[in-house]
Amino acid sequence: MLPNFKYVRPGSVEEAIDHLTSEGARVHAGGTDLLGCLRDNVFGALKVVSINALDDLRGIRQTPDRGVRIGALATITQVENHELINERYKGLAMGASEVASPQLRNQGTIGGNICQKPRCWYYRGEFHCIRKGGNLCYAFGGENQFHCIFGSDKKCCIVHPSDIAPALVAFDARVRVSGHKGDRLVPIEKFYVLPGEDVERETVLEAGEIVTEIILPPIIEGTRSSYRKVRARRSWDFALAGVALALVLKGGKVESGRVVLSGAAPVPWRSHTVEKVIIGQKLDSKTITRAAETAVHNAEPLAKNSYKIPLFKAIIEEELTKIAIG
Amino acid sequence: MKASDKPYYLRGIPVPETPAPGKELHPWKETHVIGKPLSRADAYQRVSGAAIFPSDTLLPDMLYGAILRCPYPNALVKSVDVSQAERLSGVRAVITGSTPGADLKWTYLQGSSTKLFDPHCRFEGETVAAVAAETPYQAWDAVQTISVQYQVLPYTVDERSAIEPGAPKVHQPGNRVGQPEKYQRGGVEKGFSEADVVLEQDYRTECELHTPLELHGCVAKWDGDQLTIWESTQGVYGVQSKVAQVLALPLSKVRVVGHYIGGGFGSKLQPGKYTVIAALLAKAAARPVKLFLSREETFLSCGNRPPSNMRLKAGVKKDGTLTALQFSVTGTGGAYPAGGVSLVDWLIRDLYTCPNVQTEAIDIFTHTGPARPFRAPGHPQGSWALEQMLDALAEKISMDPVELRLKNIPAFSQARDGNPKYTTTGLRECLETGAKTFGWREALQRVRESGRAGHIKRGVGMAACLWVAGGGGPPSTIIIKLFSDGSANLNMGASDIGTGTKTVMAMVLSEELGLDIDRIQIENADTGTTQYATPSGGSKTVPTEAPAVRAAAVHVKQQLLAMAAEDLKTQAANLIIKDGEIVAASDPSKKIKITDVAGLKKRGVLVGVGYRGPNPKNKVTNPFGAQFCEVLVNTRTGEVEVVRFVAAQDSGRVMNRLTYENQVIGGITMGIGLAMTEFRVLDKNETGKLCNKNWHDYKLPTALDVPSDIVSVPVELEDSEANSTGAKGLGEPVTIPTAAAIANAVYNATGIRVTTTPINPVQLSLLLSEAKIKG
Repeated sequence: MLPNFKYVRPGSVEEAIDHLTSEGARVHAGGTDLLGCLRDNVFGALKVVSINALDDLRGIRQTPDRGVRIGALATITQVENHELINERYKGLAMGASEVASPQLRNQGTIGGNICQKPRCWYYRGEFHCIRKGGNLCYAFGGENQFHCIFGSDKKCCIVHPSDIAPALVAFDARVRVSGHKGDRLVPIEKFYVLPGEDVERETVLEAGEIVTEIILPPIIEGTRSSYRKVRARRSWDFALAGVALALVLKGGKVESGRVVLSGAAPVPWRSHTVEKVIIGQKLDSKTITRAAETAVHNAEPLAKNSYKIPLFKAIIEEELTKIAIG
Repeated sequence: MKASDKPYYLRGIPVPETPAPGKELHPWKETHVIGKPLSRADAYQRVSGAAIFPSDTLLPDMLYGAILRCPYPNALVKSVDVSQAERLSGVRAVITGSTPGADLKWTYLQGSSTKLFDPHCRFEGETVAAVAAETPYQAWDAVQTISVQYQVLPYTVDERSAIEPGAPKVHQPGNRVGQPEKYQRGGVEKGFSEADVVLEQDYRTECELHTPLELHGCVAKWDGDQLTIWESTQGVYGVQSKVAQVLALPLSKVRVVGHYIGGGFGSKLQPGKYTVIAALLAKAAARPVKLFLSREETFLSCGNRPPSNMRLKAGVKKDGTLTALQFSVTGTGGAYPAGGVSLVDWLIRDLYTCPNVQTEAIDIFTHTGPARPFRAPGHPQGSWALEQMLDALAEKISMDPVELRLKNIPAFSQARDGNPKYTTTGLRECLETGAKTFGWREALQRVRESGRAGHIKRGVGMAACLWVAGGGGPPSTIIIKLFSDGSANLNMGASDIGTGTKTVMAMVLSEELGLDIDRIQIENADTGTTQYATPSGGSKTVPTEAPAVRAAAVHVKQQLLAMAAEDLKTQAANLIIKDGEIVAASDPSKKIKITDVAGLKKRGVLVGVGYRGPNPKNKVTNPFGAQFCEVLVNTRTGEVEVVRFVAAQDSGRVMNRLTYENQVIGGITMGIGLAMTEFRVLDKNETGKLCNKNWHDYKLPTALDVPSDIVSVPVELEDSEANSTGAKGLGEPVTIPTAAAIANAVYNATGIRVTTTPINPVQLSLLLSEAKIKG
């Protein structure tokens, strides 16, 4: 059952921000995550602020510097099917195509996707866990087969549920955040918060702030990208393990690029260790094997998720091999 | 098993006897309607939304009910304060165990009495209080304000540790549900000593939760002392008897209606506490009350397929003769006796010829929701063990797994008293036809030749089955009314739980009287207007009801032909019905339209009554089957794609080729759920609560998990003894061998024997990496 809330649908970003600074206000875009959280009593709401009348937040278009701007209200399906994105940012289109189910992709927005709440069953269930203000992470000693192997900071072992965010990190996208104090552009890598910094929040968004758009930088020539996801069933499921790659290959060598893991950590997890192994190298089988080994080198599996070690190794090897072939 | 034993779907339900049907009819030699691929008689209603399901029921002045449930797996209710709830706007009734008239006894499936609102809550989700209010929101808000003081007690939710010393006790004196059930024939030690190969293996299947699309619930309404209940149920008479018993009402005062039901796979064979609670709330508020549970509530309280921990030791000679099977299973039906290990060993006892068999089944109490029958109770679990074991034995003696099974086809039921013969045994034909349709030898050859290249490996696997029930039997009473305009009413107590029962029954009537299906109106599943029927479960609805429908149709036909004989001045025995006309067999020019028969015109309506006749003496009717599948396995990640399935099923005569296909596809889909995606997760270390109580975390197979290439192959043996239609049950056997067939295919692809469900990347990626390390 949903809580008893007021519903407003303001006509401007400023108005929306005004509403969102009031006590117990929640932003509503696609609603696919919000309604679930409200129904499951993960948090309450006194006021639901729909931003669906804000047409400025829609659309996907090229920026003057040949980057791409994606409005926060662009649906996952629009991102998945957009020509420019498929042409230049293939890994992002692939990430979008792996989200949930067709119905949810039609309804869900990219802004909502990168701000979604964790799927940990303790967080979503009737457990007063540390992320909800309690003093215990139940998952450490409990049912943790779908939890993280990196970045828990020994506080909370959720995984970040997005398939899109890892690709955005790989492409070094920036997130425009609007609030009372004006706008700011946050590199998406800095958009997420680890449990060690603040266990009760997932992003740097302050009260009253919303994501209005996402900016992808112009693509560097020679970029090859992909997203690979393994899940427990073949649709409508979050990643057990995933990897987003955006690598710039020149003269057969990896010149630059990023490797970002999903299903691995409380945030999209940039694997600097893998990047170190492959940058400046040819993607031959030796390098690829070493990269895969390195990827999980410092992992801290829990009692029930050690399968993620071979799984990440397998997909990193698989995807780097594919990227090498082109 | 004794002949007198009641099947699981009739436990706790009084079953009256119906009169003998008179002369038994022989199965049709040829049919004109039966067997065709006809769409549902109620397809338009279902698709257009015109069908009123119980959860669609809206009555004037109707209130909405909600139940407060215990959030702990084991707790004593020390006090319940409803004063705040009673004051909330819109609230019309609040009841607890101390409300006059609500201090009622309740029995879960097999005895062991508790209370409707028991002060000792032995599983998460047990009922504590209930509210009726003007809107569902008001009811839920009111439930939230009820203040309960619980004394939280230690719990045990895992049957594997519940019998260890010191484990919290669910009931005094301990956590064993009675004595272990034991079965023995021959001597297994002797059998193992005669074997060339003996293998022993542990297996486990995870607990599956019931997830029918329509939630559990009902609408209850009182007219004076007459109670009417619209319930989403597989059997209105089972609901009627239980509600009448709990509320101490005469059966005549309880009417239960369940025209449609949005899915029931065993969990709706019985009413729930919610049914009685709805009636009590409606009484207290003097208004009708609708009480449908949330998905979370059904996950907690409406049953499951229990987890099974199995050990199987098997001996075989080099020539494929099985010499011994020794099996044990430990399971849990939850906090009350509910058949936690029921029928798990049946396939080990009875599927294959084996002189030396020993089984033991240990049922254990845990602080979890009571189990309910779940499509082919026990069988898919036993199959998971037995059929993987057969696969392993076949490999050890270098024999084709189909061949090994063909070597051990039983001629009679070995595990039943008196070793009765089957009316028909299609196991051999299922194996042979299935293998041929699938291209089994060729497929195995292809896998062998594809060899080591690449990390995506192909594999094929198969498994066979029988189903312990599926023959049906009395009682059933059907009434058919043929009107003077040639249309007819078919009146039947049984529910159509989505399998197409109504359509099949209309086809039987059409077959006998030559009426168009769309001229037949079916009135069913209403204790107020139909005759007694057993609940639709056990894959017995067609073999139970169809012969009674046929008998009723023949009763109408006899009267009609007698009348027509007067019109045509001939003997009734000389007349047949053809294309809506009554024709003299000897002289086709002598004919009359049904609607022109003078006697029918005069009387306006002919009434026929049909009963289900007895089953053949000293014989048993069971369906058989064999399924074959092909998979692709990513041997790095453990991702498995099921590419195709072939199901050869012996269920006697095919009544409707389209609903037959539906059952096969549905059964395989459910079997894929057991094999690959579904598992209940309990937070056993810290709280004992259910972790995955929504449809994302509790993973049903999606459309992408099920292959589009599923071929159903009916093995249509003529069964002249089973009943007058020659049909046997289909709904359950089609899901029994599916999971084991997939496991065998995964083994064929990878060389890894996955003995615990589900086969998903969580498990398989680890097994694959361990296998690689071992080399």
